[in-house]
Amino acid sequence: MLRSTSPLLSLFAFLLCWGAALVSAVSITGNRLLAIFDEVGEKENYTKFLGDLESRGFQITYETPKSESLALFHLGERAYDHVIFFPTKTKGLGPNLTPQILVNFLNAKGNILQTLSSTTTTPNSLVSLLAELDITLPAERTGLVVDHFSYDALSAPETHDVLALPPPAPVRNDISPLFSTGAPKDALLAFPHGVGAVLGPREHLTPILRAPKTAYSYNPKEQAEVLDATDLFAAGQQLSLATAFQAINSARLVLLGSAEMLQDKWFLAEVAAGPNGKPVKTFNREFAKRVSAWAFQELGVLRVNWIEHHLNEVSAVNKSNPHIYRVKNDVTYTISLSEYAYNKWSSFSLPANDVLQLEFSMLSPFHRLPLSLDKAHSTPEASAYTVSFKLPDQHGIFNFKVNYKRPFFTNIEEKNTVSVRHMAHDEWPRSFVISGAWPWIAGIGATISGWVVFVALWMYSAPTDKKMGNKKTN
Amino acid sequence: MSAETLQVLADVGKGKSTRSVLRVIILALIAGASIASRLFSVIRFESIIHEFDPWFNFRATKYLVANGFYNFWDWFDDRTWHPLGRVTGGTLYPGLMVTSGAIWHALRALTIPVDIRNVCVLLAPAFSGLTAIAAYLLTNEMTTYNSAGLLAALFMGIAPGYISRSVAGSYDNEAIAIFLLVFTFYLWIKALKQGSMLWGAFCALFYGYMVASWGGYAFITCLLPLHAFVLILMGRYSTRLYVSYTTWYALGTLASMQIPFVGFLPVKTSEHMPALGIFGFLQLLAFLDYVRSAVPSRQFQTFLWLFAGGIFVLSLAVLVIATSAGVIAPWSGRFYSLWDTGYAKIHIPIIASVSEHQPTAWPAFFFDLNLLIFVFPVGVYLCFQELADEHVFIIVYAVFGSYFAGVMVRLMLTLTPVVCVAGAIAISTILNNYLIAKTPTEEDQQAAEAAEKKGSKSGLKSATKPVVGIYGLWSKSLMVAAMAVYLLIFVMHCTWVTSNAYSSPSVVLASRMPDGSQHIIDDYREAYQWLRQNTKEDAKIMSWWDYGYQIGGMADRPTLVDNNTWNNTHIATVGKAMSSREEVSYPIMRQHEVDYVLVVFGGLLGYSGDDINKFLWMVRIAEGIWPDEVSERAFFTPRGEYRVDGEATETMKNSLMYKMSYYNFNNLFPPGQAVDRMRQARLPEVGPTLSTLEEAFTSENWIIRIYKVKDLDNVGRDHISATAFEKGLKKKKAAKKRGPRVLRVD
Repeated sequence: MLRSTSPLLSLFAFLLCWGAALVSAVSITGNRLLAIFDEVGEKENYTKFLGDLESRGFQITYETPKSESLALFHLGERAYDHVIFFPTKTKGLGPNLTPQILVNFLNAKGNILQTLSSTTTTPNSLVSLLAELDITLPAERTGLVVDHFSYDALSAPETHDVLALPPPAPVRNDISPLFSTGAPKDALLAFPHGVGAVLGPREHLTPILRAPKTAYSYNPKEQAEVLDATDLFAAGQQLSLATAFQAINSARLVLLGSAEMLQDKWFLAEVAAGPNGKPVKTFNREFAKRVSAWAFQELGVLRVNWIEHHLNEVSAVNKSNPHIYRVKNDVTYTISLSEYAYNKWSSFSLPANDVLQLEFSMLSPFHRLPLSLDKAHSTPEASAYTVSFKLPDQHGIFNFKVNYKRPFFTNIEEKNTVSVRHMAHDEWPRSFVISGAWPWIAGIGATISGWVVFVALWMYSAPTDKKMGNKKTN
Repeated sequence: MSAETLQVLADVGKGKSTRSVLRVIILALIAGASIASRLFSVIRFESIIHEFDPWFNFRATKYLVANGFYNFWDWFDDRTWHPLGRVTGGTLYPGLMVTSGAIWHALRALTIPVDIRNVCVLLAPAFSGLTAIAAYLLTNEMTTYNSAGLLAALFMGIAPGYISRSVAGSYDNEAIAIFLLVFTFYLWIKALKQGSMLWGAFCALFYGYMVASWGGYAFITCLLPLHAFVLILMGRYSTRLYVSYTTWYALGTLASMQIPFVGFLPVKTSEHMPALGIFGFLQLLAFLDYVRSAVPSRQFQTFLWLFAGGIFVLSLAVLVIATSAGVIAPWSGRFYSLWDTGYAKIHIPIIASVSEHQPTAWPAFFFDLNLLIFVFPVGVYLCFQELADEHVFIIVYAVFGSYFAGVMVRLMLTLTPVVCVAGAIAISTILNNYLIAKTPTEEDQQAAEAAEKKGSKSGLKSATKPVVGIYGLWSKSLMVAAMAVYLLIFVMHCTWVTSNAYSSPSVVLASRMPDGSQHIIDDYREAYQWLRQNTKEDAKIMSWWDYGYQIGGMADRPTLVDNNTWNNTHIATVGKAMSSREEVSYPIMRQHEVDYVLVVFGGLLGYSGDDINKFLWMVRIAEGIWPDEVSERAFFTPRGEYRVDGEATETMKNSLMYKMSYYNFNNLFPPGQAVDRMRQARLPEVGPTLSTLEEAFTSENWIIRIYKVKDLDNVGRDHISATAFEKGLKKKKAAKKRGPRVLRVD
């Protein structure tokens, strides 16, 4: 992420970044991808998915958890930029992939794409990691999501464990529909043999794909015959089939409930929703591309190019980003944002129903203002948002703060600290300008002239009589 | 030495001009001595700014020197009271900084390159020399004995009561304010005696300087009208009083209103009302006096006096009504605590928490004034003997000065000048009687008796004086020797007190090694230097307000609260953060953008001035604002003890201050052996844990401990579970918890 104080500097940095982007033409955080399989041979099932990734510029390293040489960090630096976990049968993942290391990987801005499968139990390490993120898996570390209404009639007419779902619409109307735009109207996703997860209330989490209202999760080994209501793990839209997690530093983790949906088989298969559904080709390939692109910082990545604020007054010196203002100054604040998609930066436009806000705050916001698009400073690569306002009549150390944290977008929290000083002694209007002061000014004038008149009278009026004069001085 | 040379010496002493030269030399020596005795701190330690407030004054002076006067005047300081900032230029008394700035510029103009720090360090001693001279002048107005003035100058120069605030490095407002106080009084007496408008104007000028220098100017503002009022009550109204008082009041008030911090206070607050009231009253009296001289009738005069009294009472009533209606600000808390010493403790804990606002202990009078405290009443008595206008002043000053000094330790400072003056009058009278008084001869006595007989005929007894003389050489020399010994003891006491009690910079602690050599404990500066070198330029430091000025001055980092204490709520916020659980403190620290927390801990060294000992004040101040969230009672055990060991209350053990003080302290000792040497308490075996803070720095002797405030957890956990996870503790299975399902709503 780059930010700078002067537009020139930021332009330079921007060009630099642009150059870097041209070379890799991939995720903005790097292209070293680690794929973890139980056995490396399993990658043959995912040739199309992995091929897509490679064609987007990723350099994939294949490892198994048992590998001695596997290390996410080398000399304190990240050895990989992204990790994909495919289902593994081992109970743990060994000392190189402990949950602590994985959390540190997230803290170091590494991204993780984790897949589950109902046929294998999830390793303890990953379950602990998910627990830290407030994502809960079924009790036995496995489960199966079934839906007796929207199952795929072609492949699972009896077991109902392959779900056929429409591409996911955003859960709220102010969220960008990253995963469903451009999909054909009747497109269907195949979600075979998947595990659903339950999400806590943490705002870092967003479900990408929720189970239909009629789906539920159960354990085929233990609950094959009867499912007691109290033992139900979760059902309906509480089951998240694909989950996005974004940490404060914008490191991303995607939990995909079904690894199988990434397999070549399901990229090519046709599905039909329910017994009466019309068979259509799955949307899986495009969905997998978008999900992996989001997880690996190719989609929904925002960048602050520059921030500029200045005094917006007639007599003002035209200085950018001063450190100090005065109370009740008029100022203008502008922020330039770009959005990254696959290989290029473009201007960021806000989702419908959403606004970008500026807070001017000291302890608590004194102003919270919507920023509007500033066409004059926007380019095809960057859009500028601006607002002009009058500073509050309160001195102190304030922050211009843009706190734009939305699901599926990089967190933007920009704080620019300025001091707002009081009026200097010579900045007040002069007394003769203030009409209320005129009586006092008149009073001063009257006193002075009266005194002068008195002195003059005193000096030029000689005592008429010596006797009287003597009397007076006593 | 032969008798001839003695005679020559005695003859030399007799000439008038020789005496003047001698006086000048003696005064110069006294000034030199008063400066020299204040240099102990520089010799013992180094040329360093002392204590707390001086660090702010020093910082402000540096700002003044660097940015010029007008920028200083309009200075908005964004590195204190984060995030409120402080309108420093408008909330300080600029006299001190401007004085040292002017001296610095003058020295530079003379091509003497001097570090501004050295100007600041040596300002107080330099002004104490001037104070000695001012005391000489003031005393000379009281008595005809020249020796009294010289003695007063000497006393003023070395009295510990004044030295305590004016050693080298004690760069505080009092450093110049005491000189201005004494000199203003001198000018007032001069003006009053001569009825001179010129001297009155000088008095007002120095009064203005005093207002620019120290908040204690209110002492003058109240004492002068009081003196005038007492004179009026004694029936001593005169045109001299009228001229001097009105000149002083009119010009002095105008001068004082030029200081932004004072502004309109002279016409708006109760402290200044006596001066205004006496001013008005004097106008009335002058008018009545004129009318009286014009109208002969005695009855009418009585009526006029009653009229004057009536007006006085009426205006007093108006004052009371205006105060209760809020037009005039009532007495401020600090003034209430002057009348009722228990007031501040109940209503304004922040004032009571300052050690120098405590009532004075009796030994302090002896400690600070030694011999003078005994001869002081004698001097006041001698003033009664003559009772001219200026002696009334000394009496009034003595009464009020003694009262205030008894109420507040710090006001010992304002008492010291009058003690020195009165003491000098007493001692010089004694010395004069025993040294100079000629032995009356037989003829003198007979002549006197004859005169008495003649006098009894004329009936004016007071016109004759009985001849009093000390006849015996023995009694003379005994008395003089005794006084000389007392004075020598006084000098020795002053030197001892100065060197041992008042010369410690308190930034650096001195201790003795077993072999008697001095060992310097320099933890404060070590820690401040660490902050300066290892933290961001704008890293905000939270600490108790005592250390605010030092952090600002030595570490150059923004602080949340400092010794200016203008905003009680902000201080209470810090108090609340310190005295609450981590879960409560953390949001407060986040909101105030705190990066580091600094605590002072004396448990390892047995240093008594640490934060745990001050902790109850933090609790009290916080409780004043949030009585529902912070409770002082919860920090005491059920038996009413304030403990830090295993018996400490849960609130105490969970408070941020306790945790920061004792964090990792156990590791210094064998298991279960940790002992707090300050409070002689054995600490529990398991030390406190911290999850929202991490230890950043601990100084050599553990006096200063600095903690870094952690960021929000990156993946959104609370800090306690994040810390537990780091340690590898398993999370409790969520499935075990029963109860209604919590559904997520998107």
